[in-house]
Amino acid sequence: MLELTLQALFSGLLAGGYYATVAVGLALVFGTMRVINLAHGELVLLAAYIAYAGESRYGLNPVLCIPFALVVVCASAAIVYALLARIEQDREMNSLILTFGLGVILTNLILMTWAADIHSTTNAWMLDSVVLADTLFAMRSEVVFFVAGLALMAAVHLWLSRSWQGRAVRALSSNRNAAKLMGVDPSRTEVLSFLVAGALSTFAGIAIYTGKTIYPALGHVMTVKAFIITVLAGMGSIPGVLIGAIMIGVIESFTVTYAAASLQELAGMVLFLVVLFVAPSGLFGGKKALPR
Amino acid sequence: MLTLDRVQVSFGGVTALRNVTLGVGEGETLGLVGPNGAGKTTLFNVISGVVHPVSGSLSFRGKPLLREPEWKRARLGIGRSFQIPRPLHHCTVRENLIVAQRFGAGKVDPRRIDEILDLLKLAHKADRDAVTELALTEHKALEVGKALATDPALLLLDEVLAGLETAGKRAFMQTLGAVRDRFNLAMIVIEHDIPTISTLCPRVAVLNFGELIADGTPEAVFRDAEVIRSYTGEAVA
Repeated sequence: MLELTLQALFSGLLAGGYYATVAVGLALVFGTMRVINLAHGELVLLAAYIAYAGESRYGLNPVLCIPFALVVVCASAAIVYALLARIEQDREMNSLILTFGLGVILTNLILMTWAADIHSTTNAWMLDSVVLADTLFAMRSEVVFFVAGLALMAAVHLWLSRSWQGRAVRALSSNRNAAKLMGVDPSRTEVLSFLVAGALSTFAGIAIYTGKTIYPALGHVMTVKAFIITVLAGMGSIPGVLIGAIMIGVIESFTVTYAAASLQELAGMVLFLVVLFVAPSGLFGGKKALPR
Repeated sequence: MLTLDRVQVSFGGVTALRNVTLGVGEGETLGLVGPNGAGKTTLFNVISGVVHPVSGSLSFRGKPLLREPEWKRARLGIGRSFQIPRPLHHCTVRENLIVAQRFGAGKVDPRRIDEILDLLKLAHKADRDAVTELALTEHKALEVGKALATDPALLLLDEVLAGLETAGKRAFMQTLGAVRDRFNLAMIVIEHDIPTISTLCPRVAVLNFGELIADGTPEAVFRDAEVIRSYTGEAVA
């Protein structure tokens, strides 16, 4: 029993790693543009399908597909941005409709191109199992992408806290009007946040393709999951997003282990509702009031 | 250095500014007063680029401003502080200033940051969190500091003294005078407190219902019958 519990915990932790990379992309874009990109999960899925195409058609290692996927996904992210930037009125509401529509289009393009079948990597090295401490099992790709994901999150965290562009992103997220009066160019910063989100999506897509299975409807599932995680974390804190992602990963994995795999998505939603009731501003995002 | 020529602003059917023509010279301090809703903050919004006039023109040091977005105006040398403090979250006081300097002035100059911190009496809080660890006066000072860090030639101060008690007002006003002299700034100051305005500003302009009804020395302006009427709402005998 203990072994099973530890295994569930371990699998959940590994899943949390790439959930976090999906969620940070969504949160970055939300921060700079105040837009929830409902096509975010489809960008992740696009990267996953590019890896699938590269592997199935040309026999490429999925990791080697990253550069090409990066270009396509970032270009797609830039197109989403360009369309969003054209919205002149009521951006919060209209952007939901726009990005939802773009998500549907992307899903169906993927469906048309690659059909509705379920795919996963055939790369033996990735699929090989690794054993930790004699009892914990994982696929090699899960471990590799978990470690790489952590490194990527650390890099984004450093970028946000140390670089000027990162500071511009934070300034814009913190207070849009004040940032503009400080001389921060909002469009440039927004594009940048979309491109970084594109890069994170690419990574997450390859991680999902090599560690899980992919199918056209997965994009939507990823968007919802990323949204839940960002709300759990309370927006705007990378360590918070990481913890939120791991929580979702662990809860899902416990549900699969002790209840049923079909209840997996439900468990995340229930957690989400509970947190909204108990701590409406998220677990780590308590906005402190300013003295007036 | 700043020229507004027949600026007109409407929100739907409401005219917020009516034919406002106004100039501010290099190094000049202009007080802007008027009853609530007179259009003072709207005027600041027009100058800093938040609001676009329906007609009229606007130039800064000879450069037409209307097509420049807010962030470019900040880089051109128009600094602004808000009525309600808006510090960047999860940043120290110094980081707030550095970000403003990097993007607004285009280069980082730690010496100038230290000077601003000293002038605004924020040096002892420089490495504290800007949202949670400042008192009200310090929040106000930080607002001014962020605007100063962008290396402005013109500083727009929107009721930075509001909410302070009399002694605090007097002290902060002295600070503002010192800042102006040190950086050789032109300033436009929105303020309700007439003694404060009269001390700080050699020239005062009065807005009422979006119209400029007086412009001159504080003594002349505050004796003007129309100005008194706009404030008290009473007919002057």
